[in-house]
Amino acid sequence: MIEVKEPRRPIPIIGSLKGMLIVGKHLFRKPVTVQYPEVRQELPKRFRFRIFLNLDECVGCTLCEQVCPNGSIHMQSVERENPRNKRKIYPDVNFGTCTVCRNCEEICPTDAIYLTHVFETSRTRNSFTYSPEELAMNEDEVKK
Amino acid sequence: MSLYSTLLGFFSFLGYPLSNAAAYLFESIFLLLAASLSLVFMIYLFRKYMARVQLRIGPNRVGKFGLLQLIADVFKLVQKESLFPKNRDDLPYRIAPVMVIIGLMLAFAVIPYGSFFYFGSLTVSDTGVSVILLFAILSIMPIGEVLAGISSRNKYALLGALRAVAKDISFEIPMMISVLAIIMMASARTSAPLSIDSIVVTEVLPYGILQPIGISVFLVAMIARASYSPFDMGESDSELITGFSTEYSGMRFGMFYAGLFGSILLGSFVVSLFYLGGFNGPFSGDLGAVWLGIKALILVIISFTVWLSMPRIRIDKFVNFGWKYLLPLAMINLVISGALTLMTGW
Repeated sequence: MIEVKEPRRPIPIIGSLKGMLIVGKHLFRKPVTVQYPEVRQELPKRFRFRIFLNLDECVGCTLCEQVCPNGSIHMQSVERENPRNKRKIYPDVNFGTCTVCRNCEEICPTDAIYLTHVFETSRTRNSFTYSPEELAMNEDEVKK
Repeated sequence: MSLYSTLLGFFSFLGYPLSNAAAYLFESIFLLLAASLSLVFMIYLFRKYMARVQLRIGPNRVGKFGLLQLIADVFKLVQKESLFPKNRDDLPYRIAPVMVIIGLMLAFAVIPYGSFFYFGSLTVSDTGVSVILLFAILSIMPIGEVLAGISSRNKYALLGALRAVAKDISFEIPMMISVLAIIMMASARTSAPLSIDSIVVTEVLPYGILQPIGISVFLVAMIARASYSPFDMGESDSELITGFSTEYSGMRFGMFYAGLFGSILLGSFVVSLFYLGGFNGPFSGDLGAVWLGIKALILVIISFTVWLSMPRIRIDKFVNFGWKYLLPLAMINLVISGALTLMTGW
């Protein structure tokens, strides 16, 4: 038969005092808050979020649309003279549903679509879809 | 020399009746200003302290270091609509928050603050029976809370009020008995043991050292009276929304909020006066108020630490604690201090 040990009865006030001590110790630790607009958090070097598109390189093969796991990428027709892209179709990206899986970057045969370190992509309107031209622009230029 | 006589001298060009009235008026205005400013400071201190303990920064956007955050909060609360429940009991519903604030401000008037350089004694009102007066005033605030709970016609508010009553009854008695021990000790050394001022003057050796049981009972009772975290039965955030103040909004809610922080400050003042020597200290002729402030501030920090580190006690355990532990402890303290006073003469 297994003998079950009764746990020792704690002395009443000691536990509370220990808790108070821990609370007091936390007072002298550094706050973890990052004051965002003034101070930016150091992100890891390999962090990637914003998708860029090189319009001159894109051949319109639609591989990125096919590989996108949640349908964030759709091909759009853009009137643009590019001898390599005869069908004149380029991808757009909906950042609202993009999970940053980087499949599109991996599959792209010409390295036209790639992810960058930029992460501040807040939009004022409830539209997170970047058209192919916007994907080719800097974040500052994309103003909606 | 007191604040009153300083003001009387300042207004002496008006003739006696007018200068007397002006002195009283300005004394009251100073008191109200100082009390409300200290309340604002208390809430700021609490938010900053809580934030630092939780590894945050706390208010830091409005004004330097967020010092004006509380002013902004007050403006926000004033602008907000004060909602009235449909089935309320109108008069009690309206006067309940005012009663809480009035009880708080009156209690601040009775406390002897000690002297501060040019102004002399900062005490606003000094009577020969200020201990009784103080505790009579302190019993106004619970009435406001109970009225708020009952008149809201809300089950949560009613339950909160009932719990607040249970809390007040079970903790006021040990508190008063431990004050009785203080008065008993003081009566051996002064002819006016019911005046807080003369009690503090006799405290060459602080009563907290002579009555270690007394100070712990009184501190716990004061924490229970202010009703914050280990004993926040009246509010019971997770069960009763916010207890008796559930139906209040806008500045009426702000008054209850101020009442909570005010009673923490008041409790710290009272404990430091009765048990820690109050305004006694080096150069207490000039720096008495500063000593009292420092002692009260340390107690306030301790109270905040208690608040932030302890969970709420269940209501039955809590009433048990009041009647079965604190009351006998207070009695034992009374007997011990009586024997001490009889045998040693101090």
